[in-house]
Amino acid sequence: MVLINEFSRRLVLLSASIFLSLSLTACISMGKKTETIQSELAAGRIGNALAIAEGEDSEQEDVLASLDKGMLRRITGNYQASNQIFEVAKKKIEELYGVSVSEQAGALIVNDKTRSYAGDRYEQVLLHAYMAMNYIQQGDLDSARVEMLQANVKMQEWGEEPEDDPFVRYLSGMIFEALGEKDQALVAYRQAKDVYTTTKDKQQLPIPSTLKADLLRTLASEGHNNELRRLKKEFGIKKYKAKAIPKGYGELIVILNSGLAPVRQESSIVANTEGEVVDTVKIALPFYPEPAQRFHARLTTGKKKSKDLEVVEDVDALARAALAADIPIITTRAIARAVIKHKTQEKIEEERGALAGFLATVVNVATEQADLRSWVSLPQTIQLTKLVLPEGKNTVNIEIYNAAGMLVDTIKKEVDIKSKKSSFLAEHWLAPNMSLNVVANK
Amino acid sequence: MFNRNCRHFMSVLLVLGLVAGVAACKPIVKREDPNSVKDLSGKWNDADSRKVSQEMIQDVLSQRWLSKFTAKKGQMPTVIVGQIRNLSHEHINTRTFIADMQRALINSGEVSFVASSKERSEIRDERKDQDLNASEETRKAMGNEAGADFMLKGSINTIIDAIEGEQIRFYQVDLNLIDMANNRMVWAGQQKIKKSVERSGVRF
Repeated sequence: MVLINEFSRRLVLLSASIFLSLSLTACISMGKKTETIQSELAAGRIGNALAIAEGEDSEQEDVLASLDKGMLRRITGNYQASNQIFEVAKKKIEELYGVSVSEQAGALIVNDKTRSYAGDRYEQVLLHAYMAMNYIQQGDLDSARVEMLQANVKMQEWGEEPEDDPFVRYLSGMIFEALGEKDQALVAYRQAKDVYTTTKDKQQLPIPSTLKADLLRTLASEGHNNELRRLKKEFGIKKYKAKAIPKGYGELIVILNSGLAPVRQESSIVANTEGEVVDTVKIALPFYPEPAQRFHARLTTGKKKSKDLEVVEDVDALARAALAADIPIITTRAIARAVIKHKTQEKIEEERGALAGFLATVVNVATEQADLRSWVSLPQTIQLTKLVLPEGKNTVNIEIYNAAGMLVDTIKKEVDIKSKKSSFLAEHWLAPNMSLNVVANK
Repeated sequence: MFNRNCRHFMSVLLVLGLVAGVAACKPIVKREDPNSVKDLSGKWNDADSRKVSQEMIQDVLSQRWLSKFTAKKGQMPTVIVGQIRNLSHEHINTRTFIADMQRALINSGEVSFVASSKERSEIRDERKDQDLNASEETRKAMGNEAGADFMLKGSINTIIDAIEGEQIRFYQVDLNLIDMANNRMVWAGQQKIKKSVERSGVRF
């Protein structure tokens, strides 16, 4: 009997340590992955970050891994491959529609990471925006239009304004207008203006001046004079004359994806309620650290023309708002989990003895981890401006200034402007001295 | 005690083995009849494409433009495929039903098609090459191309109404045949497809 008991204790010990080591290695590698992609990105080593991302998730099962791959392929100029993997992410998100019963149960027993990550709503909508930009950069405006319609259906499904994305509305307007569909563009511009106003508590963004101009121009050309008068008054514009782009000139739309989205961190407390080891519980919650430095950008041309870019989407603020909205339920789940884990620890100790109870406590504390997942390769902000330029090849510079107003980097680009048409230039700037190739660290 | 622990251990092993076994499984392939209808996601699929092409073909061959043209000119009309714009919510491949239509019309023996502008430039390059390299008897001269009498143009539109968990998807395909000589529309075909898609808010 003694022998049998000893054997059973060893069995419990063995399986607990196997489980513990398995779960620990899994957690460490998970944490390391995000950190490395993130740290490579923060250092501007895009090529390295891409190489790490490409090495992950060969089964293409993980939404986040596909989103990161897609974004990094896009930043390195591989638009077609980017959309191919974004499409994988999109399909997977669709498969993960609805609440999973088994994953919810897992979240109550182990931790929140057992739930599949289908992307937060702002991430799901931005996925369509980046796919649209990829199509634009391949010269396929019709397909970009398809993406915008899909984003529209998604936002429609979610109901009214709070989940609406003003930049995605604005981008759809610009795509419709570039395709010559002014009536559709007008509807999208109107929606964008409304959403900038209704989501102000999230993003704190004023209506961009370019959007005001676009809205007034399309209202004038579509003959909506009453609305034009009303909006002129609302925008405080006294004199307004709709100016068509003259022949021999075209419009350049510059979209700059600047900086990096924030990364969630874990804050945890380990509490002991009654002094016994088995009365130890841990609660771990995600939080965002202080926002990183913001950069602003100015577009300049050789002909002494210059224009500041305006923030049209504050992804940093969207990420923080999403977490703030979720934190009550995350906290509730964490507390419920602590109660359940405490009960099992007590029960195991009661039935199997002190050692088993101790091991169960160690496992429970080790597996209590905050869910830190989010799309980390998104930019901090999306900035935009528009400029009328002469037809043909033009060289433009996007100058990046830090918070102190110092010029830290310049992106030089050659753009091809077509008469009376809109051309898009969508760039990414993550950090000074960005390198798109794989480089040795330091 | 020993027995219970042993049983636990065995069941863990069994589950692990099962998981490994499932992961190592080969994909299951089953041949399907190309004419069968199988809706998976509710999106545009092969069955929709087939339905559109079949009904459009019937319509275009039964209308009077064909008999009128043949009676007037004494020859069968030549058609070129122009742009079919995708204005829908999905990345729809329009080439499948256009190719279906083209094949049916050519095989009916009543309509012929000329190559699209992209294909033409490739063929012209080949003709240029023949000019230099092919023998006199087999060489094809330039300037003998057949000009199209009609252009087939169109669009796919969708209207989607959605609330959480439910969608109504409405597709409308419009195809027009336009007379190249005077821009007159001689045939307008239209196909509509409506689907309702429900998704459960709960999964396993």
